[in-house]
Amino acid sequence: MAYQAEISRKNPGCFLFLVDQSESMEDPFGGGEAGRRKAEELATILNKLIHNLCIRCAKSDSIYDYFHVGVLGYSEASCKPAFGGELSGRSLVPISELASKPLRIEDKVKKSDDGAGGVMDQTVKFPVWFDPYWKGGTPMCAALKEATKITQTWCQEHPNGFPPIVINITDGEATDGDLVAEARKLAAVSGEDGSVLLFNIHLSSTAGPSIELPGNGNKLPDQHAKQLFEASSTLTPFMVARATELGMPAEENSRGFIFNAQPLHVIHFLDIGTRPANVHLR
Amino acid sequence: MGTSCGEARHAANECDIKVFCCPKLGNSLEEYEDAWAHRQTRTPVGIRVAVADGATESSFAKLWAVLLAESYVRSELAGAEFFARLKPARRLWRRRLAGRPLPWFASEKAEQGAFAAFLGVEIDAHKNRWTALAVGDCCLMQVDDVGKGMRVLEMFPLQKSSQFTMSPYLIGSRSDSESLNERVQISKGSLRDGDMLLLATDAMAAWLLRQHEEGRPLWKWLYRKLGTPESFAAMVAYGRKNGLRNDDFTLVRVIHHDSPVEAKER
Repeated sequence: MAYQAEISRKNPGCFLFLVDQSESMEDPFGGGEAGRRKAEELATILNKLIHNLCIRCAKSDSIYDYFHVGVLGYSEASCKPAFGGELSGRSLVPISELASKPLRIEDKVKKSDDGAGGVMDQTVKFPVWFDPYWKGGTPMCAALKEATKITQTWCQEHPNGFPPIVINITDGEATDGDLVAEARKLAAVSGEDGSVLLFNIHLSSTAGPSIELPGNGNKLPDQHAKQLFEASSTLTPFMVARATELGMPAEENSRGFIFNAQPLHVIHFLDIGTRPANVHLR
Repeated sequence: MGTSCGEARHAANECDIKVFCCPKLGNSLEEYEDAWAHRQTRTPVGIRVAVADGATESSFAKLWAVLLAESYVRSELAGAEFFARLKPARRLWRRRLAGRPLPWFASEKAEQGAFAAFLGVEIDAHKNRWTALAVGDCCLMQVDDVGKGMRVLEMFPLQKSSQFTMSPYLIGSRSDSESLNERVQISKGSLRDGDMLLLATDAMAAWLLRQHEEGRPLWKWLYRKLGTPESFAAMVAYGRKNGLRNDDFTLVRVIHHDSPVEAKER
């Protein structure tokens, strides 16, 4: 049976993010507060996803390399690794290295319980790996092709591992070819435990209710969303169960597609051991 | 204190107790995050046994599991009120971390607290009764020594292998009174001469229940053959080829006798 491989430090999982940095990402985001750009929403999502992955893998005073993570940015006419600073040019990086090399760590103040019925200000660390960026066209097909190459190499190097998960975050308007055809080639890359899973996070300028993990494309608002839904993989049974546990509306045919919503729960779709039900996700 | 793997033997008033444990395959002994403890009690005269299973996805979970198991065997509370008196254990957990320089991710994870599943069993040797207290998916199984196949008298708090999940509600090392009371499960039962109580952490318990459900119960083997760390290792090796999930394993076997016995090899 596919998608059963245990994720461990010896046999890590792989998350590869494809991020749309085209100029259309400058437009307002339809699913959040007024005046917020899609590029800003994307940077927030990506920083939160990596932040949460680091916390997931943190173990006492160290961090276990349960995952290797890559980010490819696509804009103008090319697609390239999008890590900055010390990680510039790297395609896939172990989570421990990512945790220790953000671009910067910001201090933010949040309200928290003071343990005596009151509220107090608490300073929390906010690591930043990405800043908003937009320029030129949307070579999404080039990004899918590059992801195909990277995941082929990963599967060769980790033949028995859990297949890579590719998460594409975009406003859905590819300018360089047939998105669905390229997505199928990517999803055909496979190892012993199954083939690559491609999830799409659609940040649209169209206002409207968010849609998470739909089983069909009937309620999707436009052609771009329908195409991205078409390009998304079906969730594994474990993922459907985990999504349901986390309060997402998942069903048997659910696809890894999210419209105008934060996809933070997605990183919990891979199992690395007992997760306390009473830890609230950020 | 139950922190090392292998075998521990103890002859309490009316019980033979043996503990077996081993870390997840691929992990070192230092990374084993279960804990166990047992102790003779005076009120009532008998014994207390506990197992706790630190959650993989939490930090400093081993320390918390040890504190829970030790707190229980040193306590005289056998009901849900035990969990209301965990303040000293929580304080100790925080104190062990205080002042420790931690990178941002470790510090944030420690803020969430550590989490563990817990099962404690108090055996009243005079009344031949047991009281069990659980939060999470560590399980108690009671099997009698009657008949050829032996009978399962109790499975607590889970009764079927399908009830185990990867996200149980667990006890946190930070104060989490919000809904803990609703999650506490209590059961009581009586003991007859020769009854076997097994306390197991989740993966081992789930596998033993599944073997039972599929008509390949291991009770008799556990009762008569399991005796050394080597025999436990052989069972784990067999299990790993037959559906036993890779995890830390802890199994405490208690065999009850109506009258006091000397410590002896069974």
